[in-house]
Amino acid sequence: MHDDNPRRALRAAVALLLGVLLIAPAGAASLDEIRQRGTVRVAVANEIPYGFLDFSGNAKGVGPEVAAAVLKRMGLERIDWIATGFSSLIPGLKADRFDLVAAEMAILPQRCREVDFSSPNSSYGEGLLVAAGNPKGIRGYADFAEREDLTVAIMAGADQLEMLQALGVPQQRMVMIDANADAIAAVSSGRADAYAATGLTVADLADKGRRVEAAPEFEDPVINGEPVRSWGAFAFNADADDFRAAFDAALAEFKQTDEWRAILERYGFSDADLDASFARSTEELCAAE
Amino acid sequence: MNWLDYLDPMLQGAWITVQLTAYSTVFGALLAFAAGTGRLSRHWPIKAIAVAYIEIFRGTSLLVQMFWLFYALPLIGQALGFDARLPPMVAGVIALSANIGAYGAEVVRGAIQAVPRPQYEAALALNFTPRQTLWRITLPQALPEMMPAFGNLAIQNLKDTALVSLITIADLALVTERIRNLTQDSATVYTLALLMYFGMALVLAALMKLLAARVGGWRAR
Repeated sequence: MHDDNPRRALRAAVALLLGVLLIAPAGAASLDEIRQRGTVRVAVANEIPYGFLDFSGNAKGVGPEVAAAVLKRMGLERIDWIATGFSSLIPGLKADRFDLVAAEMAILPQRCREVDFSSPNSSYGEGLLVAAGNPKGIRGYADFAEREDLTVAIMAGADQLEMLQALGVPQQRMVMIDANADAIAAVSSGRADAYAATGLTVADLADKGRRVEAAPEFEDPVINGEPVRSWGAFAFNADADDFRAAFDAALAEFKQTDEWRAILERYGFSDADLDASFARSTEELCAAE
Repeated sequence: MNWLDYLDPMLQGAWITVQLTAYSTVFGALLAFAAGTGRLSRHWPIKAIAVAYIEIFRGTSLLVQMFWLFYALPLIGQALGFDARLPPMVAGVIALSANIGAYGAEVVRGAIQAVPRPQYEAALALNFTPRQTLWRITLPQALPEMMPAFGNLAIQNLKDTALVSLITIADLALVTERIRNLTQDSATVYTLALLMYFGMALVLAALMKLLAARVGGWRAR
């Protein structure tokens, strides 16, 4: 081998690396850029029924299926589905790893400061997964503030943390789990006495795990005098205004169709949930205290 | 739905794991040689770079390095006005190989230093150039010494690839999580994943053994 070769190869590698770093402009992709690329990068967080990947890697659930239908109306049919942890969704949007998050993430003021939301796609209430037979007689989130012997599991990055904090549950009674899929094991093994999540998630988990059930006499947590309800929406990079506006317009149209109702009903949303999804605007929810 | 249905997606994930392991082991070995010999260099800037690289990558968490490359570097790029979004596979391979390279560098250095001093003196007396000494005296004796430790590192590297599932790469660990999420059949899914990692580790160990026989073959003669 000639002596110069390693040096030349090194120079080529450095040039290549710099090239990779410098090609595309920074910030979020605009609608034109997405159209040019032809593929939309959509992230989900593997939470049934909001958004998850099935065996063959196809995205299912309320978020992905509505997103796919809305994007199709916008003329964007190719979607690159990316699964990641719930707590990585917002960092991924900010780092421009995805164009859109379809995880029915609840619109919350502190999240609005980081990313932009579409108008609400769905609305859902809370639930509680407990060991079969509910041996500790847990009835609601407030129990964890009052009873010292109880611990509650929550998913990292989920908004149940804020709810529990608002109810005065101390940190040491909360157990953080990484993913929704850990909940059954955490509750049935006694690592936590309950798992706090949305009503639909709890219903799905209760269905799958034999040694767990949805708390039978669950009372919706009441914070600031109102029972807690969340509004799930699609999230965008804060710089992706034209893409979000176009998506929002197509979403508003799609929500008038029976197809939209069929998707939500298939995953267990009630008529009341469907109607409630129209009851609040993103601006109201972002401005809430 | 039984365990046979899990195999197809899991094998696809395993294939990604194999690719990651292959790339990062090869690049890691190159980095290990560069930094290991750099650390012994007589030129202080080269030595300083090698020492800084080894200490930084050995001394920080691989998981945090991956998150940093994947989620933090693009933000820094945005602030400075360039696009620093490494593709997931590239970010994963960089973090894995830089890590394994830093550990491997110490193996390389140790093996080179273990070559007896009289060997160098003899090379000098016979008027070998430094390059000839490296290729004909040092490496033939040092390489066989490195191989057992390199075998360990390669297997360690294979298992470390599971961390890339946290930066959206659909490797065996991520597919395992996905199937568990769908079925909640934790016992079967995780057992299959363990067996697949074990199978890959056995193959890798065998390959390293072949490589060790190749570089150490002259000793038997």
